[in-house]
Amino acid sequence: MSGVANPFRQAGAERIDPLLVALWITLIIVAVIWIAPFVFIIFTSLKSNATVMGTGAFSPPTSIAWENFANAWRRGDFGTTVVNSTIITVIKVPLGLMISAMAAYSLSRIQFWGHKVAFLAIVFGTMIPFQVMLAPIFKQVNSFGLINTYVGIILPYLAFGVPYQVFILHGFFKEVPKELSEAALIDGASHFTVFRRIFLPVSLPVLAALLILDFVATWNEFAMALVILQDPDRWTLPLGLMSFQSQFARDYGQLNAAIVMTVLPAAIVYLIFQRYFVSGLTSGAVKE
Amino acid sequence: MVASPSTADRYDRTPAQTRRVKARLQDPAVQGLVLIAPAVLVYALFAFYPMLDVIQLSFMKWNGLTAAKQWVGLDNYRYVLGDDPVFWVAFRNTLIWTALSVIFPPLIGLGLALGLNQNIPGRSPLRALFYMPVIIAPIAVATMWRWMFDPFFGLFNSLLTTAGWTNLIQDWLGDRSVALYSVFIGYVWEVAGFSMVLFLAGLQGVSQTLIEAARIDGAGRFQVFRYVTLPALRPTITIVLILSLINSLKAFDIVYGMTGGGPAQSTQMLAMWAYTQAMQLGDFGRGSAISVVLLLMTVVIVVPYLRWTLRRQEA
Repeated sequence: MSGVANPFRQAGAERIDPLLVALWITLIIVAVIWIAPFVFIIFTSLKSNATVMGTGAFSPPTSIAWENFANAWRRGDFGTTVVNSTIITVIKVPLGLMISAMAAYSLSRIQFWGHKVAFLAIVFGTMIPFQVMLAPIFKQVNSFGLINTYVGIILPYLAFGVPYQVFILHGFFKEVPKELSEAALIDGASHFTVFRRIFLPVSLPVLAALLILDFVATWNEFAMALVILQDPDRWTLPLGLMSFQSQFARDYGQLNAAIVMTVLPAAIVYLIFQRYFVSGLTSGAVKE
Repeated sequence: MVASPSTADRYDRTPAQTRRVKARLQDPAVQGLVLIAPAVLVYALFAFYPMLDVIQLSFMKWNGLTAAKQWVGLDNYRYVLGDDPVFWVAFRNTLIWTALSVIFPPLIGLGLALGLNQNIPGRSPLRALFYMPVIIAPIAVATMWRWMFDPFFGLFNSLLTTAGWTNLIQDWLGDRSVALYSVFIGYVWEVAGFSMVLFLAGLQGVSQTLIEAARIDGAGRFQVFRYVTLPALRPTITIVLILSLINSLKAFDIVYGMTGGGPAQSTQMLAMWAYTQAMQLGDFGRGSAISVVLLLMTVVIVVPYLRWTLRRQEA
């Protein structure tokens, strides 16, 4: 996709622009720096401990120590954490998107009392980091008796996911031509029908973008899980990795295998759905 | 959607009740409230209420477990702001961290975006690579960098040894004077791609015709950038700076994972110190007082931005 016609030339110019070549070389150097950590982690994950200590950082592993992955999987109890992360993500992400889309439709298309205030609260909510108030969130979840439960982590995840998604979808729904929904409403359709039959289908690309962004965010979340999921049987992947690091920090090969296994699912999703990430991020933030 | 009386009976409602519910649901305002209710409910219970609760808790003495809560007035604030030796260290670190976060990742992001916006080969893979760290779990980034900073076998000291610059070898995360900046280097790697993507999107909005026109009028590269590109990027710059600022307050995972606030509290931050006081030392009152200070700092930043956003939304 990067097949640029006549690279290194200014638009319309025939000659190669030396400044662009210099710029390109600089970017390649920066890219090498950016990729180095990945290479280092992958190499280490495939080396035995003795090799890690005996060879240079970027010398490729000579005999590949696949057992690092099996051992890290077992000792880090990845079987449990992967299942927990999957359950939480699979429930939270679609559910959160659903309630956000409903709210965004309501805010952008229906006039009711308090709808200005609700919008203001939403935008305000996009700006307040929950990391600031982990203790009161713990207290609230605890008062429902939901510590160490899936529901107990999913509810605050939903709460803190709503503002950003509503903000983005509200911006999108506002641009949908009025005629589209008004014709249906005049014919006697309810707002529920208009939302389901017209707005959901036309906003599929935005919904897909938000779905993928939220999948990665939920999969990666650490601080809230740290506070609410204290029982190792309920830990998610990031909690498992943290605990692995504190217990087996000197088993370099296995530690790096654990990192690779934690990072891989999100990395694969990213590589497959790359273009959605950009559109999801920028559709709301940068409007021209 | 049409419910006959017989279906209504199955749900134990009299036909009159059903009719009333149906009549209510005809009202668009009621439909609007029904649609927004789940989101508002969950947000109010698990995001908004804790935000108010933290203020109340900051005037209490409470260990988080027992029912015994005691009103202590401003004692927690007096302790935190006056006697707590760690608070001001964490405060200073938070300010340094925020200042660095607003300067370096956006500058690098802008540089990368300007470069990738030119006519050069390999733009897509390069863009994908620079954005890659953003989607990796911050706690995994912390674990990665902690390993790279390993004083014996880590990447940095190995490279320095190979290069022969042994005098530069550091205990990157163990030395109080460098630990905060070491963590920050990992953070830059993690977030620069985020600024880059926003700037790339902003650059799409810069009018090519305007650039052409300026060039024909004899403007040099720098002049085109200074007088055409930069002014057109102004809204994007505002957004990137504000988001960088807010994200810097969220930097909990990476510090927690790399140093846990140490050595000797030299990388402690306000958000993490609030967490430590409440959840680990069992003093919810003091923890909440720290949270309130941090919330106030956030609100001071957010409110002007909020007004700006709303004005843009209306426009």
